[in-house]
Amino acid sequence: MSNKLACSHCHLEFDKTLMIEDDGHYFCCTGCQGVFHLLSDEGLESFYSKASNVKLTPPTNQYEDSSNFNSPAFYDKFVKINSDGFNEVSLIIEGIHCSACVWLNEKALHKMEGVIEANINFTNNKATIVWADDILKLSEIIDMIRAIGYNAFAYDSSTQELHANKQRKEYYLKMAVAIFASMNIMWIAVAQYAGYFSGITQDIKTILNVAEGILATPVLFYSGWVFFRGAYYGLKTKVVNMDLLVATGALSTYFYSIYITFKEQGEAYFDSVSMIITFVLIGKFLEVLSKKNAADTLDVLSKNIPNEVNVFKNNIVELCKLSDVHVGDIVVVSSGERVLLDGEIIKGDGSFDESSLTGESDPVYKTISDKVVSGTSSIDADIHFRATKDFEHSTLSSLVTLLESAINKKPKIQQMANRLSEHFSSAILMLSFLTFFIWWLLPHSFETSFMVGISVIIIACPCALALATPVATLVGLSLGVKNGILFKEAAQLETMAKADTIVLDKTGTLTIAKPEVISETIIDEFDKSILYSLVKSSNHPIASSIKKYIESNYKNINEINFDEYKQSPALGINAKYHNNIFIGGNLKLMHKHNIKIDFITENTIFYFAINGKVVAIYELVDKLKDKAKDIIDHLKIRGLDVIMLTGDNKHSASLVASELEISNFMYELSPEDKANYISSLHEKNKTVVMVGDGINDILALARADIGISMGNGNDITIDVGDVILLNNSLKSLEDALKISKTTFSLIKQNLFISLVYNAITIPLAMAGYVIPLVAAISMSVSSLLVVGNSLRIRYKWRH
Amino acid sequence: MDSWVISMMLGASLFLGAVALGAFLWAIKNGQFDDEEKFLNATKFDGEDELNDAVNQERKKEALKKDYRPE
Repeated sequence: MSNKLACSHCHLEFDKTLMIEDDGHYFCCTGCQGVFHLLSDEGLESFYSKASNVKLTPPTNQYEDSSNFNSPAFYDKFVKINSDGFNEVSLIIEGIHCSACVWLNEKALHKMEGVIEANINFTNNKATIVWADDILKLSEIIDMIRAIGYNAFAYDSSTQELHANKQRKEYYLKMAVAIFASMNIMWIAVAQYAGYFSGITQDIKTILNVAEGILATPVLFYSGWVFFRGAYYGLKTKVVNMDLLVATGALSTYFYSIYITFKEQGEAYFDSVSMIITFVLIGKFLEVLSKKNAADTLDVLSKNIPNEVNVFKNNIVELCKLSDVHVGDIVVVSSGERVLLDGEIIKGDGSFDESSLTGESDPVYKTISDKVVSGTSSIDADIHFRATKDFEHSTLSSLVTLLESAINKKPKIQQMANRLSEHFSSAILMLSFLTFFIWWLLPHSFETSFMVGISVIIIACPCALALATPVATLVGLSLGVKNGILFKEAAQLETMAKADTIVLDKTGTLTIAKPEVISETIIDEFDKSILYSLVKSSNHPIASSIKKYIESNYKNINEINFDEYKQSPALGINAKYHNNIFIGGNLKLMHKHNIKIDFITENTIFYFAINGKVVAIYELVDKLKDKAKDIIDHLKIRGLDVIMLTGDNKHSASLVASELEISNFMYELSPEDKANYISSLHEKNKTVVMVGDGINDILALARADIGISMGNGNDITIDVGDVILLNNSLKSLEDALKISKTTFSLIKQNLFISLVYNAITIPLAMAGYVIPLVAAISMSVSSLLVVGNSLRIRYKWRH
Repeated sequence: MDSWVISMMLGASLFLGAVALGAFLWAIKNGQFDDEEKFLNATKFDGEDELNDAVNQERKKEALKKDYRPE
């Protein structure tokens, strides 16, 4: 309509005047232009017809050097040598929007000399790449992926994923066999049932029985193998589990049916054998599937970038494996980087963000002979420091070691469904024996009594019971994912529903962990463009929030090129323009330039002075997250005890606590203090949910019944958390509680349905009134009821 | 006579079914259903080029395998 135009590469629409014209094509940025030309040069233009009008992310050029990917440390951890002697790596590709993207990546990689195989999974964006390392290096592959407008990072596929994939495949195979055989048995059974009512000759019945028997054999012994295995391990630990019930029921029915077939008299129950196995297997498969999906999401969250440090040796800076750094080595850290070792600064100074370790929200200024701690990160500091501990003994590693013991101390809440099925299984087995003996003593023939005994097991077939929990939790988990909540395990839904205490971390959980402008005092009018230009080039959190404030509150801001510009770490910025001197920064900087200040509060203040006179004052605090107050109120209404723990000082802690009306809060806590506090709650028999995001929360998260971590938190925090809030909002916390409660009540309803069904049918079976057709139909009906009831909440769920 | 016809028909149909099942199991094992989305989209990108690409890739692998000497 207007002069909006779609970029030839990414298809995002922009004003025509802003775009780069190139030979009839229009591009929004040089990145898109570059990719477009690369694709035409490589003969891959057909990508655009395949992708049609899918909107892509424009490529950026701000990647760190890909040569890190070639380091021995990285190869050690992520690159495997496969059986043919080629190298293999698992990557996650970022920026895949459509199947054409998958096509393009695979094509582009296949065209590279030395790439043997590139296989990208569209569903989870994971890629497996096989290449010959003597022809090209991994960095070249990464560069290629970046050049065509995507990004890639490695993930560790060896542990969880391989196992999950193998398990899923195994279940696929088993289910394929079970479903195929069950469906065939069903149509043979139709003939049997018809014969039951209208008469059938014995020889035809035998033929049908034999066919059913042949079909049921692989179902029982191949697909049903998991139940035998489960029953065996159950018996070994002296637990009567559902697997044992399924295994004994199916096995005895199977042999009884074989006996009937050879005896050529009575009814065979091969259809029940395969139906039981198939239904319960589907329930188990659903559990496996939800675990696999959770694993996929987690791999995306914990981006693995090469973990190495720059070491200053013999006057040159070289990359070094973390484990190869010795005490006394000099480590180089640049602004924006993470500190991975403990040490003492010997050169340079600047601000550090220690919030993830201490909970302190304000940046900490450090200079020569100050200590730096692993796990923090540099904001604007370029420093050299001498390592005082090697990696194994660093603060970060020792926390991880402590973590292992914390996880072992995690209380195990036995799940209601498991406990119920255990009792249920033993009860049914007993009842079945009892029925058999009573019938036999009454007196009836051995065959009749055996059949009635078996029919109790068949009718009580835990199909509905086995489906009750997995279907309900699957619905709960998928609701969670839709709302940005990832439950790592299904059982956590139930534990969370039972929680009565919620412990919250302050920095990063309740607050944004970034200072924001709360008040602006203008003393003398001035051009806001000057201040904007002054703070624009700094990546200090205070400068960037002032920049954001000006952007959103003033119009017509232009950028100015200063004649002189200087940043002083932890102080502020000086600049000169047309003989005017501009100074923006904290109190110390003002004192340094002999500027008089008469406005002081406990909050963070940014002063802006022109030619030695303060013209504007900005007050900043670490603001609360959106709707924090509402959510806390809501948690209280739900009857939860709300407690706030923080490593921050008393002033900031009480400020937040009073605003949120949290009466119970503790401050200046170390990571161990937090964990101990959780333990003390356990001693009072509380079920505790802990919510946190930083490294200082990991011990507490691990020890709580349910640890909830924020998706933007630290890698370790995400590893430790049982539940991850992907969008970091507190609203998700409320949703998570709601979902777990809904799911838990759904599980209870489902269990109730299946138990009521059993309460009606088991006495009938014990009295010997159940014919095979009724057994088969009622089995399916009860399962359908349970599944239908679970799907109901998908429609019921509203925000 | 009747029972012979029935057993033959049952046998034949179950055999055919089993062959199809076997093929399906082979495909699962082969990794063809690892990615549901890609499997469904594969029809869109099916053509001569793709076939050639796959063959070339296979040749490249063989060629490299011959001269590849792991250290």
